[in-house]
Amino acid sequence: MRRLTILLFLSFMTLAGLTPAWAGGIAFIVNSGGASISVIDMGTLKEVRRIPALREPHHVALSPDGRSLLVGDTTGNQMMFLDPNTGEVQKRIPITDPYQLGFSPDGKYLTVNGLARNQVDIYDAATMKLIKRFPVVATPSHLAYSPDSSTVFVSLQDSNKLEAFDLRTMTEKWAMPVGKTPAGVLWLNGKVLVADMGTDYIAVVDPADGKVLEHVVTGKGAHQLFMSPDSKVLWVNNRVGGTTVTLDPTTLKVTRRYAIPGGPDDLDFAPNGKIWITRRWAEKVAVLDPATGSYDTIDVGRSPHGLFLNPRAPSPTVVSSR
Amino acid sequence: MVDPLDITAGWLEEHLLIPALYQVGLMNWEDVSYGWALFAVYGAVQVVVTFAVCLPLERWRPVERWPDSGAVWVDVIYTVLSRVGILPLVTYVMFYRAQVFVTGWMADQGLVPPTLEGVFPFLLGQQVITFVLYAIILDCAEYWRHRLSHQFRWWWALHSLHHAQRQMTFWSDDRNHLLDDLISFVWFGFIALLIGVSPLQFPLLVLVLRFLESLSHANVRLSFGWLGDRLLISPRFHRAHHGIRAAGDRSCNYGAVLPWWDMLFGTADFARDYVQTGDPSGEEALATGTYWQQQMAGLRRFIRSFGRRTARQGM
Repeated sequence: MRRLTILLFLSFMTLAGLTPAWAGGIAFIVNSGGASISVIDMGTLKEVRRIPALREPHHVALSPDGRSLLVGDTTGNQMMFLDPNTGEVQKRIPITDPYQLGFSPDGKYLTVNGLARNQVDIYDAATMKLIKRFPVVATPSHLAYSPDSSTVFVSLQDSNKLEAFDLRTMTEKWAMPVGKTPAGVLWLNGKVLVADMGTDYIAVVDPADGKVLEHVVTGKGAHQLFMSPDSKVLWVNNRVGGTTVTLDPTTLKVTRRYAIPGGPDDLDFAPNGKIWITRRWAEKVAVLDPATGSYDTIDVGRSPHGLFLNPRAPSPTVVSSR
Repeated sequence: MVDPLDITAGWLEEHLLIPALYQVGLMNWEDVSYGWALFAVYGAVQVVVTFAVCLPLERWRPVERWPDSGAVWVDVIYTVLSRVGILPLVTYVMFYRAQVFVTGWMADQGLVPPTLEGVFPFLLGQQVITFVLYAIILDCAEYWRHRLSHQFRWWWALHSLHHAQRQMTFWSDDRNHLLDDLISFVWFGFIALLIGVSPLQFPLLVLVLRFLESLSHANVRLSFGWLGDRLLISPRFHRAHHGIRAAGDRSCNYGAVLPWWDMLFGTADFARDYVQTGDPSGEEALATGTYWQQQMAGLRRFIRSFGRRTARQGM
């Protein structure tokens, strides 16, 4: 009888839209080929619902105040603003070809790469007014800032170049060849790392002049780089090889290799130590246990690309029943 | 649930296309190759489903029986090229690029690129309803494109290749001159840009529509009944359009999937029965030549159409 009472109470709580204290957090997975964003309950690893996008969303960025999750819809020419705690759509505004996007560390600027339109747009993060448009030679794909927010580095995927833009003067600093198909970019210990999807290595680049200092082999189709929240592990997804590898950020030696088939792309870090990885061609997300190398699988929409974990959000399972 | 066709396309991408692109140093084509893989897999399924349904129908109640059906094989080549091969890739790349630049330019001017969902926000996320509305609009546009292709001499010269087939089967839907295909692409692309359609969002429904178009060409005595024929185009209805007496600007029943536009604009003819197909005014190569002989014959007829007006027979 007591169980039944508890069950009825929980049902009432759910119907009333009340959020229990043991909520498990929300994962947002952007389905670029399915024009939607999957909302995943991080506690149950189940997809709760899908937020419709207009055409082709790819990447996400959390606003500096943490109140909005921005999702760029490229062919929809639209920026979606979501509540990172609930997934509610706050607003949609017209923006040209927003592919990759990122806020500067000081929170002043939002850089938006227009991959298909060959342009890098710098917005005022507070007002979303376009400050400067840099036309580039080809397909700006990924970006990273210097820690002082003075420079943004953009990989130009269909060329062999990495380009640096001075945000203080709003001018181009340099554009230098760094590899066959430059993709992910990351600032690390005073250097810029660029993953080269056309080869099996990442290039270590001097941020002052763009010269390549060394190559570090990670795996075929090195695509995207991520630093763990404690800055102790560098993660690299290798698109063609279907692997995710870890490196020591000081020595840049590969320390472990995980098989993640299906085109591993972006990843994010959960507080329980699990690594969430989108698998573009498998329509799945892998939730990897780095200790064992095994992973759980979550079915999502077509071509899952960008993702964002908000472990502090209430359980979307309860929220969605409102 | 994950779509098995998507998974097949993903497998194709991961195990064949990407390794090949990596080897030849073309990884910048990665995204495009995935779009093609999706088109190709859905196209291949279209062909298989159409074959599995239409072939038994054609064996069951054929309108005509031919001692030698060799001319049909060329239509098979048209179908495979059109639905699985290079054409979907070209279409995808061209349409995608055009859409990006046009709508991006509009967004730069402070204009919101038009979409049905923009006009009717409640449609956002209602993919099936949205697709049905897009499909109806595009079907109307296709009716007018097709009807106009019968009115202009130069256009009919190209389109007559489609009508030359005397052994019309479900394979004949994609039998078109490449220039006629190009015009169709520009026409379709323009309309699609205007209303913001995105075919990759709705591959399964595209599959159904293409199946219906193939079925309408099938060599089968099949009508959907008085009401059904007025809701969807049946093989009987479309065969009247391909009739010998209906070639050129004397034709009727121009619709692709829905007969509504023929009914609305006064070109519907539900009375004509299972007529003989073909276009006696064209070169024999248009009907029974190889793929390239048909293309060249169509090109010759197209060039001649700009010359002095003569009887249609000599055009």
